[in-house]
Amino acid sequence: MSRWKRLLLFLSIMGPGIITANIDNDASGITTYSVAGARFGYTLLWTLIPTTVALVVIQEMVARMGAVTGKGLSDLIRENYGVRATFFMMVALFVANLGTTVSNFAGWAASMEILGLSKYIIVPLGATAVWLLVTKGSYRTVERILLAACLLYFGYVISGFMAHPSWPGVLKGTFMPTVKWNAEYVYITIAIIGTTITPWMQFYLQSSIAEKGVRKAEYKATRLDVVLGCSITDIIAFFIIVTCATTLFPAGIRIAKASEAAYALRPLAGQYASLIFAVSLANASLLGAIIVPLATAYYICEAMGWERGVNKTFREAPQFMWIYTIIIVASALLILLPGAPLVFLMVFSAVLNGLLLPFVLIYALSLVNNRKLMGEYVNRGYYNYISWGTVAVIIVLTGFLIVTSLAPLRI
Amino acid sequence: MSFYGEVFASEIMRKPVLDPKGEEIGRVKDFVIVKGEQLPKVSALVIDKRKKVFLLPWKDLNIFNKRIISSRVYGDNLQAYDESREEDLLIVRDILDKQIVDVNGARVVRVNDIKLEGLNTNAVLVAVDVGVRGIMRRLGVERGGEDLFRLFQKTLPYSLISWNYLQPLEPKLTRIALTVPRQILSELHPADIAEIISSVSQKEGVSFFNNLAVETAAEALSELEPNVQKDIINRMDSDKASNIIEMMPPDEAADILSDLPAEKAKEILESIEKEEAEDIQELLGHEEDTAGGLMTNVFIACSPEMTVREASERLKVQAKEVETVYYIYVLDAEEKLLGIASLRELLLAESDCIMADIMETNLKTVSPGDDEMDVAAIISKYNLLAIPVVDENGYMHGIVTVDDIIDILLPPAAKRKRRKV
Repeated sequence: MSRWKRLLLFLSIMGPGIITANIDNDASGITTYSVAGARFGYTLLWTLIPTTVALVVIQEMVARMGAVTGKGLSDLIRENYGVRATFFMMVALFVANLGTTVSNFAGWAASMEILGLSKYIIVPLGATAVWLLVTKGSYRTVERILLAACLLYFGYVISGFMAHPSWPGVLKGTFMPTVKWNAEYVYITIAIIGTTITPWMQFYLQSSIAEKGVRKAEYKATRLDVVLGCSITDIIAFFIIVTCATTLFPAGIRIAKASEAAYALRPLAGQYASLIFAVSLANASLLGAIIVPLATAYYICEAMGWERGVNKTFREAPQFMWIYTIIIVASALLILLPGAPLVFLMVFSAVLNGLLLPFVLIYALSLVNNRKLMGEYVNRGYYNYISWGTVAVIIVLTGFLIVTSLAPLRI
Repeated sequence: MSFYGEVFASEIMRKPVLDPKGEEIGRVKDFVIVKGEQLPKVSALVIDKRKKVFLLPWKDLNIFNKRIISSRVYGDNLQAYDESREEDLLIVRDILDKQIVDVNGARVVRVNDIKLEGLNTNAVLVAVDVGVRGIMRRLGVERGGEDLFRLFQKTLPYSLISWNYLQPLEPKLTRIALTVPRQILSELHPADIAEIISSVSQKEGVSFFNNLAVETAAEALSELEPNVQKDIINRMDSDKASNIIEMMPPDEAADILSDLPAEKAKEILESIEKEEAEDIQELLGHEEDTAGGLMTNVFIACSPEMTVREASERLKVQAKEVETVYYIYVLDAEEKLLGIASLRELLLAESDCIMADIMETNLKTVSPGDDEMDVAAIISKYNLLAIPVVDENGYMHGIVTVDDIIDILLPPAAKRKRRKV
């Protein structure tokens, strides 16, 4: 194949990996990165390298399954492990993703409040727009909006440069690992991994690859797409940490939310950097608020065998539409209700995600090694050790995350 | 062994199987099914005990109902069974939880449970449960679900689909499929078939597509999105593909071929009948979004001297092949367009008149290079069903019909995309 032909092939296949990776940086991801940068400066940057490797290892397997079987992950789990396992997994996924959507709407509200807009206007507005987009819009509009929104993520790269970081420090922090044995440092390190590798995105990636109709023969291009996508996720994460580490860390400003970072940036990095940070957060939150409920409704219906699809009406696909609607309405209400247990819900959702992840990963690994499904595309010898090893490490770390979330740290 | 009444597969699964002395010889794990007279029947139970798997033939069963399953033979006499045997068809392994096409409702459903019924001493598969009730039964909360529904003064519906109305998606299952569903399958509207194909995985879509009769396949194929069309044709062997493409109107065939890799397209074109292939080749030369790219070159033409009777006869002969019968195009010997007669004019005219007398000569035409939107504008302005495509020298190349235009104006509704998140 000539170089041009190869490039063309890649361009036609690329997409799912890059889009998934972008959406992965939703409100909770951005929050974690901002907090990490503000609290520990450049010293946590190195964790992004192992995180990227782990992300690539896992996403690659899932993508391979999508390309070889042409089916989604929930589809395969249902067909191979029966109703019971699938049902409980879907219930957990529903609740966990409800929490994720809440944190996305919270991010949306907070970022808009920076621009001086009340959350009582902006949240119902955002929720209605998101709901209308999917229930009344066509797939084409949805896809275009998503792709355009993905470009906005580069706002973080710009704000990273605008903060004028000290590059030698950045390089040192990235390539020379330093480990501090204090509880908060360990907690944030694990949180970075936990927010990057989530259960729902495995489902999302596999479905979008299966539906794109990628064939086995074109799989190499998909692998490149996945590797590129994972790298982009972490490049964005890198710049978020750099922004906060350059400006907030030396000033000793501690934050707990991403929107606080945008506030704090104003006097330190200038109005524009702050504005770009806030707009990118709003964009990421809203994108998450579109995709997470949609994806959840999709996998549940796929697993349960209910009608589904963006182009369907309430009458044609009632379960699909109701799941989607309930997630959005419930999350928006939870943000608006004064005194709603938001923090509890988000922690609960993080814990549930943590509990779910081992199951999803172990199912995914045993499916990818099922010769009946994958034929010659099962994990090869040493690669299998790497993937089991990665999964084991992630499981141990998320286990730790769950324990620490349930027993809040006293710092 | 006789079996009366009805039972769901999930009610039998994991049930102990007793020998004549009342000792447990294992638990039900799966059911082997074979083609029966009318419906598939159970030929043996697969049972497992302490990780070992055995086969218990149907004839060796003594009692079989949802409370008691007992065998005539003792555990020692059971024959070991290899579960991964591909030749056998197993209910739990191959059907339960899989996707299947409900031909009656024209949709894809998931098998939540399977209903067995006694028929002449055999247990036959009568229906699959695709509803919430099936899921609840599998989870062991069917009763609870009923109570919950009663609380809202509703009844938990039975969503059973008779085996007769099912079309398997996996080629393996077609061995036990009946002759009945195939007929229903070809009665499905092509748009429904397209909908089904776009809601299952590619592999399943192709195997489903392969089960269709060539004519139905051709119609269904035109309803699909270009990239799905390409996938399906690409995965088929060239012989079958060319049979299907041959059945399609040449303009649609050309659209599909232009999306295929050059080699595959050439291979298919070569095995298509010469005349058809020439038509398609001619169309392949035009840009996709112009009048030339949209047009079909199959239409009803006649000479100006022809009488109305002769023209009507020709119309009857050719009606099956052409896309629209509402216009008859009057061409001279050089294939220059002289006029158009509508079907209405043809019906109302005296049968001895010649076409030159009844044809309309004030013509609305487009040229092959015209943009598709301009073509749409003209068709809509003059309320036409089809418009002739004529080059600057007056030669007629083909016609663009109104349904080709509608596909451009309303793409999402008219074409079925592969399902997406």
